Amino acid sequence: MARIAGIDIPEKKKIIFALQYVHGIGPKAAADILRRTGIDPDRRSNSLDDQELSAIASDINEHVLVEGALRRKVSQDIARLKDVRSYRGERHRKGLPVRGQRTRTNARTRKGKKKTVAGKKPVKA
Amino acid sequence: MSRSTKKGPFVDERLYRKVEAQSELSRKTPIKTWSRACTIVPEFIGHTFQVHNGRTFLDVFCTEDMVGHKLGEFAATRVFRGHTNKKEGIAAPA
Repeated sequence: MARIAGIDIPEKKKIIFALQYVHGIGPKAAADILRRTGIDPDRRSNSLDDQELSAIASDINEHVLVEGALRRKVSQDIARLKDVRSYRGERHRKGLPVRGQRTRTNARTRKGKKKTVAGKKPVKA
Repeated sequence: MSRSTKKGPFVDERLYRKVEAQSELSRKTPIKTWSRACTIVPEFIGHTFQVHNGRTFLDVFCTEDMVGHKLGEFAATRVFRGHTNKKEGIAAPA
């Protein structure tokens, strides 16, 4: 049973895909890790020995921000935006889209479920 | 699409010179500016700018955390006072 970056136990899959079960590792980071450690991406994760696993683990430690540390960094970055009272921080605070998307329609991911306003005309009559 | 690193950050030359002149005199009076697109560089820390928002000038005091942002990000151009209440026909207080 392979254990990488704390709690994640990907098995039976090719190591390049198994690694992507870790929060913070996507296709790019997985390929980078395997390139640096010199492990064949097509090997299955249960075929790796302890030495190779620890090589992966130390490479992640050194080069990639994953799981808790990554989540912490993201929320700190958002807290900083709020703290300096920038426009982006205000958008985070109000729960509206941050990157200039329209809000007249859509934006439901940020705004949550529709709250119907009585008497409001539909956008397109 | 972000700006090419080759160009470096956009800093309003005239504004930068004003900041430098102030630093030399170790004086920090607010600088009025329309240059909302100007990036805040480390030299701006501790200075106050009055950034135009289209109507008035809003005070922006630059701190270390603001470096890399633009002046305009700290001077809101829109005022949202809440949605209109149909029954009373007036805008709800913010």
